[in-house]
Amino acid sequence: MQCPESLRVQAYFDAEVDSVTAADIERHVEHCAECRALLHELEQLRAAMHQELTHLRAPPALSARLSRALDQESGPESSRRFRWPRWRLPLQPFWVGTFSGGFATAVAAILAFVIWAPRLANPLVDDLVGAHLRSLMSSHLIDVVSTDKHTVKPWFAGHTDVSPVVADFEAQGYRLIGGRADYLDHQRAAVVVYQHGPHVINVFSWADSQRALPANATHNGYHLIFWKSGDLEYCAVSDTAPDELLGLVRLLQGLSTGDARDSKN
Amino acid sequence: MPHLDAAYRFARWLARSPDDADDLVQEAILRAFRGFDALRGSDVKAWLLTIIRNCHWTALKQEQRRGLVPLPEERDAQDGHALIATAPDPESASIHRDEQRTLESLISALPDDHREVLILREIEDMDYREIAAVTNVPLGTVMSRLARARAALKKQWLRHNDGVPRAVP
Repeated sequence: MQCPESLRVQAYFDAEVDSVTAADIERHVEHCAECRALLHELEQLRAAMHQELTHLRAPPALSARLSRALDQESGPESSRRFRWPRWRLPLQPFWVGTFSGGFATAVAAILAFVIWAPRLANPLVDDLVGAHLRSLMSSHLIDVVSTDKHTVKPWFAGHTDVSPVVADFEAQGYRLIGGRADYLDHQRAAVVVYQHGPHVINVFSWADSQRALPANATHNGYHLIFWKSGDLEYCAVSDTAPDELLGLVRLLQGLSTGDARDSKN
Repeated sequence: MPHLDAAYRFARWLARSPDDADDLVQEAILRAFRGFDALRGSDVKAWLLTIIRNCHWTALKQEQRRGLVPLPEERDAQDGHALIATAPDPESASIHRDEQRTLESLISALPDDHREVLILREIEDMDYREIAAVTNVPLGTVMSRLARARAALKKQWLRHNDGVPRAVP
């Protein structure tokens, strides 16, 4: 006999539900041993598949063969509706060291090229506001729903390239409601989501890009506050008042210096 | 070339041998390049994997018509662990190989339509909507196939580990 909620639990596990449904399912899972077991199994299976089966790469020989085939295809006079980017990956080096983080970097670089190259003109502010709006519109505000920083922070390890400061400031009016992975500044950014009254605050974080951060800004009515901490860059985005946004930023800045203590409480 | 690895991985799970997978990827990428299958939206990866899948099924149908399809048993003997890439370090290499072989053969044993949703979800990290687009079935079907694939795999996996689920870090 299978719990009728099992498909919804699976959808929750696959981050396919909005935050309201997610909260609903979390309540259900608390009381349903079967669904708890299901979640556990889903996690085990995913971990096993990730660990064992995601490392396969296209062989360099195939890559070379494709390059030749594409070269033949693309005569100078050809007019195509779709043009494949005609550059080649340095497949050999990271094929040899397949296991290093080099692959992630390579993927990020490829994505960066495909997605970001066309819009070079100071895109960060636009992108942050865009990401913030998308998160509110598409029911994809939160990937991991939790008010517990010990749930949110480890989740980032598998889903983003950075491990930002995560804390709940419910006492100060900034409630931690979850985390999300987003794609920003050529990498998988981590987004910590807070609720402040009726407002959602997205705190984006990504690895230090070694260039100057944009100045704090207001864009389409959304406020952005940037700061650096350690080797991460952060930006808080929200439609809440700038002072209130700054309140959260101060709390986070206060914490990041003591991040090492984080694990104790 | 963007998404080449994803295309190759998916092709390896669909095709019967590494050579077939190479051919499949080449055919799909040339099709993509020639613009036969228009890219809708901006999801290049889903688009490319859809073409891979279409090419695969077209080729399979042609072979079936010509009576060329080899017996399924031929698949295991030499290609059973061909999906294995490099292991993380020499010491754990053999353990990994065993686990990979087990997991791979269990996944290979799943029905085609269940295997592909599982691969797209867990290996290629696609969401339900993208999987539905690639496999050309409704979202609800994606969910139920995924659930069945996972349940079947879990059952076989537990049986393989003598009923003791292996602790996965």
